[in-house]
Formats: sequence, structure tokens, C-alpha cells
Amino acid sequence: MTHPHRTSDTGVRARFLLATAAWTVLVAAVLVAVPLAFAGRLPDPVASHWGPSGQPDRSMPPAALTLFALVWAVVAGTSLVGLARTRGEIRRATRVWFAAGLGWTGAFLIGVQAVTVAANLGRDDWSRAASPSWEIVVVVGVAFAVGALGRLAGRLGPDDAPPERERPGPLIDLDTRKRPVWVSTATAPWAVGLGVVAFAAALSFAAAALWGLAPAGWSTALPLALAAVIGLAVSSVSVRIAPEGLTMAFGPLRWPSRTVRLDRIERAWVEWRSPVQVGGWGVRGLPGRATVMIRGGDCLVVRYTSGGQLAVSVDDAETGAALLNALAARRTA
Amino acid sequence: MLLMLDLNDPRPLHEQVSAAIKRAITTGDVAPGDRLPPARDLAAALGVNANTVLRSLRELRDEGLLEFRRGRGVSVLRRPDGRAALRERVRDLLDEAAQYGVGPEDVLGIVKELMKESP
Repeated sequence: MTHPHRTSDTGVRARFLLATAAWTVLVAAVLVAVPLAFAGRLPDPVASHWGPSGQPDRSMPPAALTLFALVWAVVAGTSLVGLARTRGEIRRATRVWFAAGLGWTGAFLIGVQAVTVAANLGRDDWSRAASPSWEIVVVVGVAFAVGALGRLAGRLGPDDAPPERERPGPLIDLDTRKRPVWVSTATAPWAVGLGVVAFAAALSFAAAALWGLAPAGWSTALPLALAAVIGLAVSSVSVRIAPEGLTMAFGPLRWPSRTVRLDRIERAWVEWRSPVQVGGWGVRGLPGRATVMIRGGDCLVVRYTSGGQLAVSVDDAETGAALLNALAARRTA
Repeated sequence: MLLMLDLNDPRPLHEQVSAAIKRAITTGDVAPGDRLPPARDLAAALGVNANTVLRSLRELRDEGLLEFRRGRGVSVLRRPDGRAALRERVRDLLDEAAQYGVGPEDVLGIVKELMKESP
């Protein structure tokens, strides 16, 4: 297969890595420079935390202000190294989320540090530091604005041609005297563990509340029980494809489940997706663009005849896509 | 895991399911070491009772093709040997022959003809 966009893709990759590296260095420089520049006008120690009343209630040595730079170096550094270690093109979806995340985090850290420095500036003791109020709102607002700018910056450049394997695979030979079915699963063991732990905790709190040991136990037990149900529901998915259509069943109980009739499916293919791209685990995105994300990796993507898409992370998605395409071809034939 | 269930197979359901799983192992759709989907998922997909699937899986285990492991489900141990694999394919061939109104004796005749052609 020839890659008509190969040169431009490599250019986009290099430019994107360069730009994010420059942003990483710039933010780190600001986070180091600001505490140093104002070191002479800060009390020792400086107020670092404010209570609900707005009065400072915790302090730290001024040198600790440079810890912001350390946090940033770890966060941005590891993500950048992780991105640089990938091979080939950096897809637009990855760029968008990466740039938005780094933009937001960098702006937020700079803002929080600036607010802390400003509140302590010119005071002779940390307990007399000013109480920030609206500044917090500004910091969060600016962080989101910078994140949005990062998102826009990540959109620059072409989206790469889909890798070869996203094209529909070879058709499976269908025999009219045989009923073809494809069954596969995807499991997230950590979600099972999380669900079980949450369930056990919910049970303990409920028992404690029942015996009057902790009257407030119910208010803890209910959210934990909800977390357990959701955790278990997204811990595994069973996908089956039969001549009737595609069915997904969730969780260890295989309930709830959802079926997409075959006549609604136009074609299917395989795509690599990660929780970072789709915004987490579980059912992500709006109907028509949803992804059922159990674990990062190969996803079976189907396109509806109505134009929408549905993706589900599942093992051996290539065979599933091939069978769906074969069934769809037989229907239209 | 891709399974093809024969709609005209007169054999009992559990034998049909066994044959379908065996066919998937023979064609290499699932390789030795691969785990099979849970029995109830297979049952739901095939539209049969979970006990039917379990019975088939036990039969295949007794044949030495599958391995049951506690907590790890059912996995493929080895491929069926040549004779067992051929048996399934000859059965498919006989089914297909029946579609054309050709009986087993006639199929045997064709085989003998071919044997004469290529000694």
C-alpha cells in the first residue's frame, strides 16, 4: 500500500511533538521563574492552603512553590515520552486530546501558583495572606480556555489515512445451509476487582447501618452500591453476531444487553481506540458516535445505514467485522 | 470465535454443537491455547440451552481437544487428528451430496473413480 500522505504525516508528527515539547518547557520555566522572581517579597513560610472561611490554615516553605514545576515535569514529561515512543502517525483524535490535556494542566498549574504567590505577596507573615476568591474562578476559566485552544491546535493538520487493517477484511464464505455465529468477549479484570471491592464495602456499611453502629452508613452504602453496579457492568462485554444482527451483553450477568438488527448495519471494520481518545471507560459518546469501551485496543466499529457509528472494544474484532460484512453483502445481494 | 451450525444436520443438537466447535478448531479459527467464549455466550449465540453447550464441551474434553481449568474457563488443547478432521469434512461432503440428490454410495463411486485417475 502506498502512503500518499506519508511525508506530510511525518511533518505533522514532528511539528506536534516539537510544539508540545516547547509548551512543556515554557510552562516549566514559568513555574520555576515566578517563585524565584518574587522570592524577596514573600514571607517564610508562605500560606499554601485556605480553609472554608477564606483564612489561610496551612503553610509551606517558599521553596515548595517550585514543586509545581516538578509536578508538571512528571505529568507532561511522561505523557510526552509516551507519545514520542509511539510509531507512525499521531492520529488527529490523539493530538486533540493530548493538546487539550496539556494545555489545561499547564494553565491550571501556572494559575494556582500565581494565585498563591499573589496572595502572599508583600505580607510579613503567612497567616495574614489575602484570601483568594474570584481569582479561583478566573484560574479555572483560563485553564479551560487554554485547553480549548490546545484542542484547536491539535486539530491542525490532516487526519491520517486510516491504516490498512481498518478496511473491511476478507469476506467469509457463507453457506446458506449453515447458520454462522460469532462470539467474542472483552474483559477488564481491574473493573471486576473494583466492583467487587465496592460491593463488599457497600455491604459492610449497610450492615453497620442496620445494626445501628453507623447511622450515617446508608449515605455511604448507596453510592458504593451504585459504583459496584456500574463497575461490574463495564467490566466485561459479550458480543455476538448472528444472521439476526449484532448483540452486546454487559457485565457478568450479561444484562443489560442491546441488539442492532442486521438491516441497520451498512458495514463493519476494526479500529484501534484507547480510553483516552473516547473519554474514559463504559459507554462513551452520544448515540450515533458511541464507543463501548471496556479496554483499550482493537474495537469492532459498525456503520449504520442511517449514517451513525457504534464501536465496541472486543477481542478478535477482525473476524466479527468480516462476518458482519459477509452478512450485509448477502442481504443486499 | 466463528461457528457454523449446520441447519439440516439430523444429529442431536449437542453433537451438532460439538461438530461446529470441532470445525472451528480444525480450520484454525481457534488455535491450541486459545480460550473459548463462556458456554452461556455460545449458548445464547447458537440459540440453544447452556446445558447443551456444556455437554458438547465435555464431549470434546473427553476426546482430548479441550481443557477445563478452574477460573480460566475452557481452552483448546490440540487440533483433532487427521482422521477425525476428515470425518467431519466427509460428513459435510455427504450432506452437500444429499442436496444434489447424490447418495453416499454414489459419493463412494466418485471417490473410487478419482482413485483410478490418480494412482
